[in-house]
Amino acid sequence: MGGSKKDRKDKDDRKTKRLKVQEQEKDDDDDATQDTEAAVVPASASRQVDEKTSVDDEFGAKDYRRILDLKLDHKSRPLWVAPNGHVFLEAFSPVYKHAHDFLIAISEPVCRPEHIHEYKLTAYSLYAAVSVGLETKDIVEYLRRLSKTTLPEGIEEFIKLCTLSYGKVKLVLKHNKYYVESQYPEVIQKLLKDPEIQQFRYRPGNEDENTQATGNLIEGQVATKGIQFNKTSTSNNEPQPGTSGSYANGTTAEEEQPSVPSDILKFYEKMDREDDEDTEDQKTVSFEVKPEHIENMQKKCIEMEYPLLAEYDFRNDTVNRDINIDLKPSTVLRPYQEKSLRKMFGNGRARSGVIVLPCGAGKTLVGVTAACTIRKRCICLATSGVAVEQWRSQFKMWSTADDSMICRFTSDAKDKPIGCSVCISTYSMLAHSTKRSWEAERVMEWMQSQEWGLMILDEVQTIPARMFRRVLTIVNAHCKLGLTATLVREDDKIADLNFLIGPKLYEANWMELQKRGFIAKVQCAEVWCPMTPEFYREYLHMKSMKKLLLAIMNPNKFRACQFLIQYHERRNDKIIVFSDNVFALKNYAIRLHKPYLYGPTSQGERLQILQNFQHNPKVNTIFVSKVADTSFDLPEANVLIQISAHGGSRRQEAQRMGRILRAKKGAVAEEYNAFFYSLVSQDTMEMFYSIKRQRFLVNQGYSYKVITKLAGMDEENLAYRTKEEQAQLLQKVLATTDQDAEEEEGIPGETHGKSQVVRRAGNMSSMSGADDTVYMEYSAAKGKNKNHQHPLFKRFRK
Amino acid sequence: MASALSGGLITSGRKIDCKDLHSYLRTLSTSVLDKLYNHPATCLAVFRELPELAKHYVLRLLFIEQPISQSVVSLWVDNKCHSEHQEVVHVLTDIRVWQEQPLPGGMQGWILSPTFRQNLKIALLGGGQPWTGRGQLPPDKHAKDVAFLDKYAMDRWECILHFMVGSTEGTVGVSRDIIEVLLNAGLMKESGSDPLPTISPTGFQFLLMDTALQVWFFMLQYLEMTESKGLNLVDCLSFLFQLSFSTLGKDYSADGMNETQLKFLQHLREFGLVYQRKRKVMRYYPTRLAINLASGISSINSTPHAHGCIIVETNYRVYAYTESPLLIALLALFCEMLCRFPNMAVANLTRESVRNALARGITAEQIINFLRTHAHPETFKVGQVIPPTISDQIKLWELERDRFKFTEGVLYSQFLSQSDFELLRDYAQDLGVLVWDNPSKRVMVVSRTGHDDVKKFWKRQKAGNS
Repeated sequence: MGGSKKDRKDKDDRKTKRLKVQEQEKDDDDDATQDTEAAVVPASASRQVDEKTSVDDEFGAKDYRRILDLKLDHKSRPLWVAPNGHVFLEAFSPVYKHAHDFLIAISEPVCRPEHIHEYKLTAYSLYAAVSVGLETKDIVEYLRRLSKTTLPEGIEEFIKLCTLSYGKVKLVLKHNKYYVESQYPEVIQKLLKDPEIQQFRYRPGNEDENTQATGNLIEGQVATKGIQFNKTSTSNNEPQPGTSGSYANGTTAEEEQPSVPSDILKFYEKMDREDDEDTEDQKTVSFEVKPEHIENMQKKCIEMEYPLLAEYDFRNDTVNRDINIDLKPSTVLRPYQEKSLRKMFGNGRARSGVIVLPCGAGKTLVGVTAACTIRKRCICLATSGVAVEQWRSQFKMWSTADDSMICRFTSDAKDKPIGCSVCISTYSMLAHSTKRSWEAERVMEWMQSQEWGLMILDEVQTIPARMFRRVLTIVNAHCKLGLTATLVREDDKIADLNFLIGPKLYEANWMELQKRGFIAKVQCAEVWCPMTPEFYREYLHMKSMKKLLLAIMNPNKFRACQFLIQYHERRNDKIIVFSDNVFALKNYAIRLHKPYLYGPTSQGERLQILQNFQHNPKVNTIFVSKVADTSFDLPEANVLIQISAHGGSRRQEAQRMGRILRAKKGAVAEEYNAFFYSLVSQDTMEMFYSIKRQRFLVNQGYSYKVITKLAGMDEENLAYRTKEEQAQLLQKVLATTDQDAEEEEGIPGETHGKSQVVRRAGNMSSMSGADDTVYMEYSAAKGKNKNHQHPLFKRFRK
Repeated sequence: MASALSGGLITSGRKIDCKDLHSYLRTLSTSVLDKLYNHPATCLAVFRELPELAKHYVLRLLFIEQPISQSVVSLWVDNKCHSEHQEVVHVLTDIRVWQEQPLPGGMQGWILSPTFRQNLKIALLGGGQPWTGRGQLPPDKHAKDVAFLDKYAMDRWECILHFMVGSTEGTVGVSRDIIEVLLNAGLMKESGSDPLPTISPTGFQFLLMDTALQVWFFMLQYLEMTESKGLNLVDCLSFLFQLSFSTLGKDYSADGMNETQLKFLQHLREFGLVYQRKRKVMRYYPTRLAINLASGISSINSTPHAHGCIIVETNYRVYAYTESPLLIALLALFCEMLCRFPNMAVANLTRESVRNALARGITAEQIINFLRTHAHPETFKVGQVIPPTISDQIKLWELERDRFKFTEGVLYSQFLSQSDFELLRDYAQDLGVLVWDNPSKRVMVVSRTGHDDVKKFWKRQKAGNS
């Protein structure tokens, strides 16, 4: 990581932060003390709430007993709502399903284990709720009915505050120009009075300043018809990809149980209907915005409590031609995929936003279906060349699109993207700022000139904001769909997605999908490998990066790894071994005679190794570096061994687990059909990181079994049995340079090679905070200016 | 690493010492024991708690009036079970169920203690005086059912526990007698300024025990104090054993009890072991606490409470459906409490909070057991009441406090030259007694067993040199 790069990054950060600071200053910290919702509300209105709520009982817990009254029939109601915005849901309640659907719409899931789930109401989650069509009074009313106790006053106020002004202003792309549109002229007037917004406003040929600041509004009409997602697929021979209507009916019917209080049930039905009914013609007013200021405009509006919703009325878009693409008749959507799409197309228009599904749960199909629903030109961005290939094959598998419609735009592929209907590329390809080939330059020009119907952003969490902005300024898309498995980052960039793409539309429950067999049942285990005394002595004395290397190269860890590989190979499992550290990767792989791939491995070699792994029964184990963290679709793999990881990154842990999550065929008999081992050297930093890394998955309901001793390990013939061998290994480790000891990074100065895209992938994760140096820097900064962080980010840090 | 060694929190972890019936009887003097066996109920209770083999011996000897040779007795079992035989012999001798008596030929023989034999016969075969009260009682106008008695007993008992935790609800209704027992047992200690005593580390462990075990432990402590209160220990004990053979929900007459026993009855009433409507009414109901007392000690089975309320999640969250301040206070011993709703409390199990509990002398086993016995019925449905990862982790947290291995040794230092040091070190190493050495500082540690050899070698060496 060069110094210059970091500087640039910092500058960028500062720019985005400046705007946020004003909000933060009003807020108290939320994180450790779990104080009230004040932390998430940018507005000052929630202040009086804290004073009342900060009563502690004798054990230091927040005592809500005096503020909240228990309802008489509390047993049949599933929720507690705390004044700080946390919501607890009984998963075993008869009305769980009603409550769950509702809560997922209005709040962020915090943790979802077996019995009691925790959610949190945040300004953004409420924003998302409004954007999928819920109304303030309904939210409050339903929450009141579901709750076991009376609602805390502050919460009601908070919901009103966050939702009343939300959803009134929309950002619409028409004829390649951006407009801010609203049904409420007074809101537009109010926005236009703001001097900053005036600057963002684009007035053709009218340069004289705000003499008539509020004039020149464009009036128009929008007909929002209740188009259901399933009706949008028009072709006849195709099964309705969304059987959403019947699905909804089915669920309500099955839920009619005697113990459900009737008010909950009635209301649920009503809300369900309202989702789709929205059939008036509405008068709107709008003004045009300069494209380069879109993002500032969005932020400014959020500050003014009028967040912009991005919607695309694709059915009434006559300017852009339809493309001829449909889902294949054989394609069947799973219920949760359908549900997520219903959120996206709820009112007949396409909303921009993020859909969160676990790895292996079929995110790609969601993307493909969205493209087939909108039926406009679609651009799809992935993180690496391998992922591009996978998207292409998925498009061909699920939809009627053929090679003539799908084009790859990568440095390797020699497709001719100009004029294609579905374009698949990588983030780095688009954001590339240095000189391109003549041909690529033409393609870029063409892309910039196009008005895209849909932009699918794969693995949206990995992309640094800076690169993201570049991409978004290059490509004009009516609707943006972000797909990810893990909406967490160790840095605070995650909230940027709210500005850049849109609210989170849907988030699936991992445990539920696992129970229903849509993803594999994974047994997670943390294997503790004691350090050998020799290694530990060196470890204690070492100060540099080699400290970690010593922990990774711990002979006991090696033996544990070898043992696990032998054990699972005998069971005919397919094993992936992950190591962030290249030195360790090579050493382990060479010693065990297994193929390995990492950053510098060429694209061709990669595909060859992966294909061998998939089809060759002799290749059951591969060693990979972090290039394989995301988007490597290896359906066969069912065992994952992690020998070194990157610090305390929760996202990496979840992404890696995603490699083995794809549902396994014919392995239902066993309790678990996939295994995730994380090997940690005892008494080293790895232990500390390991706990941090696991938090995300633990919150999803996974549990890590700690294994202190692998049974039967002594009987195996494993390497590094003798002290001499171990000493030799130690010498080898000590002889490495610091550079070897570091984690994998891109190779500087070699930007025109064939493996360009690939190396970029490594680079990207570094920039996005996955790199160790950035991680350290972040944690240092965290202590320093804790107060200066946006409250929204705090919840991701727990 | 740092975690395991830092803080110097390695305390010896004094575990609460709860004796079973036999270890308790062993502490009594022979004269007390002999007097104790004057009552059939006691004999039966003692007999019931004997190991299988001991029961077998006692029954074989029950009708034999003369001593049996020890060698004969030892032939009753296989050689393989010799150690078991030895143990049983010890037990029976210690609690004076049998005694050694020389046979005519000079051999040693065993003979059952005459009082024990006589009273056990009565217990098994019938006869003798009625055990409890005198005659039939007229029906009670205020008869109580089992549910009432259970509630009464638990209320009384929780009152004591509340008092121990120091929660406000416990201060009323706890008499000086109870406080004295608590103080004497070391469950609470008096601090200078506070008028009320505060809980001790042993007290924490006590709180996490099962109710049956708590009552037993408490009663043992009480019995230790009887003499100082002017009560007759034998009277109290026999009454206690009598109680354990009574029927739940039936009333008994207090007529004909002596003064010690009447006073003792009042105390039991206070602890919730018996119910008596009024002090003067000569009629009492034993509660479950008393009935389970003697029978429940050896087989303490942690059956889950029917009204359990705690849910432990895989993400270290603990939810307690309760309003009981006692339970919350107990949870707070090893959890970090987050927030409380009118009918539910939310807490987190953290490494810190558990380590705090461990430092107070609470063991991981106790924590897990507590969570298990109070588990919410909902958790039974999934098979594992406590997620195994959580119980494993709690145990690991306990283990990580105990990472040092201690080896006794002798330090050799102040060598005059490096060669001297190396010579001695190599010698010790060859013998395999070298524990640790540091050449640069010329110090080494030799294990205790090797010390003599190394010392001798060094003396010889020096003598040879000079």
